[in-house]
Amino acid sequence: MNHVISRRRMLGALGSALGWIASRPAAHAAKAAVQNVLASSHAPKGYDPTKHKWLMCIDVDRCIGCGLCVDACKTENHVPEASSFFRTWIERYIVKNPAPGGIDARGEVLVDSPNGGRNGFPPSLVPREEILRSFFVPKLCNLCEHSPCAQACPVGATFDTPDGAVLVDSNYCIGCGFCIQACPYGCRFLNPETKTAEKCSLCYHRITRGLKPACVEVCPTQARIFGDLKNPIENDPIQEFVRKNKVFTLKPHLGTEPRVLYANIDKEVR
Amino acid sequence: MSSSKMPPQVARLVLLTLGIVGSYGDAWKLLVPKTFGEYGWYRGAALEENAARKPVFSGMKSCDECHSDVLQRLSKYEHKTVSCEACHGPSRAHADDPDVKTPKGTFVDSDCLRCHQSSPSRPSWLKQVDPVEHYRVDRCTGCHVPHQPKETP
Amino acid sequence: MDPALTPVLQAAGEAHHLATSIEGYVYPNEQNLLWSVLIVVYPYITGLVAGAFIMASLVRVFNVKALTPVYRLALLTALAFLVCAPLPLLFHLGHPERSFQVMITPHTSSPMAMFGFVYAWYMMAVLLLELWCEYRHDLVVWSERERGLKGALYRLITLGVRDLSPAALHLDERLGKVITVIGIPSAFLLHGYVGFIFGSIKANPWWGNVLMPVIFIFSAIASGMALCVVLYKELSWFRRRAVDAACLDEMGKFLFYALLVDFTVEGLDWLHRLYAAEESISVLKQLAEGRLFNTLLVIQLCLGTLLPLLALGATQILPGRIPVWFRQRIYYNSAFLILVGVLAMR
Repeated sequence: MNHVISRRRMLGALGSALGWIASRPAAHAAKAAVQNVLASSHAPKGYDPTKHKWLMCIDVDRCIGCGLCVDACKTENHVPEASSFFRTWIERYIVKNPAPGGIDARGEVLVDSPNGGRNGFPPSLVPREEILRSFFVPKLCNLCEHSPCAQACPVGATFDTPDGAVLVDSNYCIGCGFCIQACPYGCRFLNPETKTAEKCSLCYHRITRGLKPACVEVCPTQARIFGDLKNPIENDPIQEFVRKNKVFTLKPHLGTEPRVLYANIDKEVR
Repeated sequence: MSSSKMPPQVARLVLLTLGIVGSYGDAWKLLVPKTFGEYGWYRGAALEENAARKPVFSGMKSCDECHSDVLQRLSKYEHKTVSCEACHGPSRAHADDPDVKTPKGTFVDSDCLRCHQSSPSRPSWLKQVDPVEHYRVDRCTGCHVPHQPKETP
Repeated sequence: MDPALTPVLQAAGEAHHLATSIEGYVYPNEQNLLWSVLIVVYPYITGLVAGAFIMASLVRVFNVKALTPVYRLALLTALAFLVCAPLPLLFHLGHPERSFQVMITPHTSSPMAMFGFVYAWYMMAVLLLELWCEYRHDLVVWSERERGLKGALYRLITLGVRDLSPAALHLDERLGKVITVIGIPSAFLLHGYVGFIFGSIKANPWWGNVLMPVIFIFSAIASGMALCVVLYKELSWFRRRAVDAACLDEMGKFLFYALLVDFTVEGLDWLHRLYAAEESISVLKQLAEGRLFNTLLVIQLCLGTLLPLLALGATQILPGRIPVWFRQRIYYNSAFLILVGVLAMR
């Protein structure tokens, strides 16, 4: 009985090994068929992602809250029209005067972002006399060095590119929403049409063709400064920006090392 | 029953485990996308796919090809930082075929007020007007030229 | 009034939205709640699985003989719920047809990806194996008795091992014990990992803290044991069999202690948060007093934790004074409340 079992087992093992070898050609053919579904399309030729390092910086003192950037982004990237999906948006901060009595130096801080600022900002209900300071802050993907979103993605559908952007592979994304929860800056959303995650791609399809991102293109006051750290141009705006301004980043305590630099923001900006 | 022989339960379970691991390996080989891992833990093709989208806005450089005189005038005044498409809309179709008009050719006051309406949140270096208080005869363009804001029509 | 001004002033009129202070401000993209009920149900189910398995392991590893009647029930409960666990996840995914990608190109830095393997390990190497060892004798008997499809199925599951000698059965016993010993940390890993998925999100102060995996584990154990109590009573009623009073007493005892530990750990979490009073505490307080008042304070805390603690505590401290039938009512109702409470917590 023991001999029968061991011989049978050996034959079975041998048979399955032979079967595996014989199935290789068929498996290759099947693999090719599957791979074709995932084949890539044709992109700008001659672009080498390792030769560039893009960065966007924001000068809050130059933002006038016109909302042209939000509108341009929605148009350029075909973002769903609803007011809860934005790849970039503007927040208005209003710092009120302190209450009389001399206890506080500053009063209450109010934040709003009506439709992301897309149609500009209607006048605030706070009367002008009560406002101590007010400013606009454009927000976007912070291009983190240690992106928590890329860390969280279970399949590798969102990633840091070699040239500084953080992209989403919408043909691979399974729509679990983990990256959306993981982003501390609220810059991601689930596109209800494609059912995949979506975010500011730094207009990757534009910058690889030598154009500027749509938001930078239409900003009338150069509040958004865009450049290539590896190929600075003459009077490079980024170099001028970091030379002239004290810069801040958002939520530095989380260790995400956001690369987007903000100049002239207030302590209230989150 | 010899103690050196593997009991049948364990033997079958080991075989089953090998079978499961083997089929997982097969599935892995079959289903991992070709370009995966080129630059990192993602499909290398995704970079190309993201870059392959068609741009919608044309960019000021392409306006310069035909309208360099306007841009020259523009560059002398405060609106030099305002892109053509910021006011005229995404004009790629027009850049490809000049017979196609830009999305926006005529302007109403709300277009100017979008940037210039006075607001306590706007920085003081920006010229702002209160639409109620500001002297008006006609529309904004009655007294102001958009491309050369310091001049009159 | 110039008609061209109308759109501007109209927009001003539409500013009914009041600016909110920093504490209430939500990023525009975060206005839609993405992780909702479906994601809630998933940790709940895996928690039940882990807890039921711990109850089963009490019999095998810690030799709590009184719990023997529920041993098989606990294992089967764990299996049944484990099989159903991926369903809410699949429904939640934007692209469920791509879900296999999690197993094919798992991103090792992502807890969600690694969880796929933890789940597979627990399902195959722990739960199915243990059930196989436990049921092998019965499976062989049934496979010889039944004909047709059912018989073929039984024969397949036995993997052809038909030896029913005492030595083979003894080996089954030992294998089962080994698997259970491996299974206890695996059960902790299973649900601790789900806790880690939430605990690792540093962007969210409500979730992202160190104690989250621990809280999840202990609330899972409490809920799993509560499930066994409820199911035992229900199934005994359904099968018209008498309930083993000693077994139920023992289950009530373990349930009490599991709940006590769970309450302590969650209390620790809140105590620390309130004391350290970091920036996020104002938002958390707002949440606790506002949107989450009912689920957190009323259902989870009072109904789901304090009330069962008191009731079960009474049965432990004064066992003689409380008649058996009332004790059993307490067990059943407390277990039910605990199940609801843990769901509210999720």
